[in-house]
Amino acid sequence: MDSTSDKALMMKVKKGDLDKLGLLFERYNRPLFSFFYRMCKDCDTSEDLVQSVFERMLKYRESYTGSGTFTTWMFSIARNAHIDHYRKVQRSAIPVEIDEERLEVQEDDSAGIDHKEQKKGLLEVALDRLDEEKREIVILSRYEGLKYKEIADILNTTEGAIKVKMFRAMKELKDLVTTLSEE
Amino acid sequence: MNKKYEQLLAEYLSGELDAKGKSRVEELIATGEIDFMEFRELETIYEELGTIPAPKPATKGHERFYQMLEEAKQAKRKTWFQSITEHIKSLRSALTMPRLAYAVILMVIGGFIGSQLTNDRADIEQLSLEMQTMKELMMVNMLEGSSAADRLKAVNISTELPSADMEAIHALLFTINNDPSVNVRVQAIEALKRWGDNERVREGLVQAITKQESPIVIIELADAMIELELRNGAVEFERLLQERELDYSVQQKLQSSIAVLM
Repeated sequence: MDSTSDKALMMKVKKGDLDKLGLLFERYNRPLFSFFYRMCKDCDTSEDLVQSVFERMLKYRESYTGSGTFTTWMFSIARNAHIDHYRKVQRSAIPVEIDEERLEVQEDDSAGIDHKEQKKGLLEVALDRLDEEKREIVILSRYEGLKYKEIADILNTTEGAIKVKMFRAMKELKDLVTTLSEE
Repeated sequence: MNKKYEQLLAEYLSGELDAKGKSRVEELIATGEIDFMEFRELETIYEELGTIPAPKPATKGHERFYQMLEEAKQAKRKTWFQSITEHIKSLRSALTMPRLAYAVILMVIGGFIGSQLTNDRADIEQLSLEMQTMKELMMVNMLEGSSAADRLKAVNISTELPSADMEAIHALLFTINNDPSVNVRVQAIEALKRWGDNERVREGLVQAITKQESPIVIIELADAMIELELRNGAVEFERLLQERELDYSVQQKLQSSIAVLM
């Protein structure tokens, strides 16, 4: 999902009209937050990473060429920010914090929740259990609305490889949900 | 399921498959090459993924972002100011008496030429006014042409017009609502955004929302609403979401636009 005006706005930022970054922030802070949240399940980390993406956009604005879609460029930055963050976390050996409130809700609600909600919960757990690359592809495609070609550009691979991985991720999700519901 | 259909089914699930591809999938299901039950299960999982919500970001993120932007702007202003000061300093050190005298002579000559040119200014203004009228006429005529390339040229001509003219505005609004080419309609929206302060343009862009069928044009209008801060656009987008079955990505775009506009 991109338009020429995203590119035009970023080109204006590049030329020094920094206020235009505010418009891009209003447009994309929610999709970026949702991407990071679905990847790491932590609100504070997701907020920090959104901030980091816009800081990088500002810092590296000179390198923006306008080729490809704006969202591809933005999610490439987002992906790098996410990787850098986890490298840092691993180095300092701080365990990844999990949103405890979210887990409590899942456990407490198990009694009164209807079947549909239960299945949704299982699917969410299954999604978290996918390996990082597959989860990233599912999130970018299903939630962020990116085309397979765009995801391939972000992940530096071929469109065909992404399609195969997406299909296998869906199959794995199906199997995981079945296993989880039997547990 | 047969591995050779993995890519085809991935495309089917994300909606990237065209009509020909879809009927190919249906054929493979009918012949049993793709297991129908497994296919349905995958389709259901894909649909259910869309129901898993993500929380909204906290408002403190906004504050942090705008604070960061303000700091970047200040830093930029500072570097600009520093470079000017340095430039003046270097000029001052280079200024000697003969150079000063030379500069004064140049200024006197410049002033004399300038006074001569003022007499012709009225003529030049008249000429540029006529040029603008001609450009407008040419644009309106070309917009009515049958070739999409000509109509695109016409929209581009409108971007050369220095001020908003009602006839040009009406012609561009008519184009947004009636032109058969998506490209021409998108360019017309881009062109009109330049005159975003004009009340007729603002009104016309909001009214154009419900008249659009193309997802690309709807998304372009959503961007225009945010750029021009047209809050009335949110009401029209909500109506569109309620009344029509829109593509998933368009729905997402409209929902995020409504959140910004509200």
